[in-house]
Amino acid sequence: MKRAATLPARVLWNAFFWTYERATWQYDVMVIAILAFVWLTPPGWLGDPMAHGSGPIGWVLSLLHS
Amino acid sequence: MTFTGLIGRICMFPLRAIITTCVRLRIHPNVLTFVGVVINAIAAHRLAHGRFVEAGVIMIAANIFDFIDGKVAIELGEVSKFGGFWDSVIDRFSDIVLFIGLIYLYAQLGRTDYVMVASFAMMFALMTSYTRARAESLISKCKVGFMERPERIVLFMIGAFTNRMAAVLWVILVLSIFTVADRIILTYRELREPREAVA
Repeated sequence: MKRAATLPARVLWNAFFWTYERATWQYDVMVIAILAFVWLTPPGWLGDPMAHGSGPIGWVLSLLHS
Repeated sequence: MTFTGLIGRICMFPLRAIITTCVRLRIHPNVLTFVGVVINAIAAHRLAHGRFVEAGVIMIAANIFDFIDGKVAIELGEVSKFGGFWDSVIDRFSDIVLFIGLIYLYAQLGRTDYVMVASFAMMFALMTSYTRARAESLISKCKVGFMERPERIVLFMIGAFTNRMAAVLWVILVLSIFTVADRIILTYRELREPREAVA
């Protein structure tokens, strides 16, 4: 995998085959990506049974449309 | 210093005071472990009734006990093989009980889709621990994969406090599948290597 892999492929493989410790910059990037998914994805897109509304992305989209 | 490292350091200040108090009171670490699972069961009850913020607060209390038991054991000189075994077993109960709370909630709401998501997330969360334990009976170390217990707990709390439990369950599910796969791959590679060296 490492020999001929392009940079994006290597990044994807390293994100999948996770060997980094906590409190490294790679860990921080992963945490930010997870938090972005959790907080920015509109609950309606996931069919969330408890949360309603369109979330921050929906709010920005509606602001752009108005 | 990294962002997550800084958060860890900040959280250590109050935890240090709690550890010192437990050491002074000579509370046995196995008792702390058990108290943790009991409080987690209360958190699961609140989750099951859709009281996410209450559940989040209770989870913080429960996981303080989970976190400090090992440190208290070291400071009291009570580290034992049974303590490690007890901690691992009780941690699995704590994991399962929170998922059961959510499964009950989604079943009550008639959402079989999220009953399945939570059930699969629970299955892979358990397999994350099992694959590592089983692998480390065969190879020296199997600490790969992102989604371990501390990450799961923090995600549960984030989901509870910000009412984003569905997104959190998806993250736990997908990253737990990756973690189990990582551990299987690593174990396969490690066990294959000696045979290749002989050949």
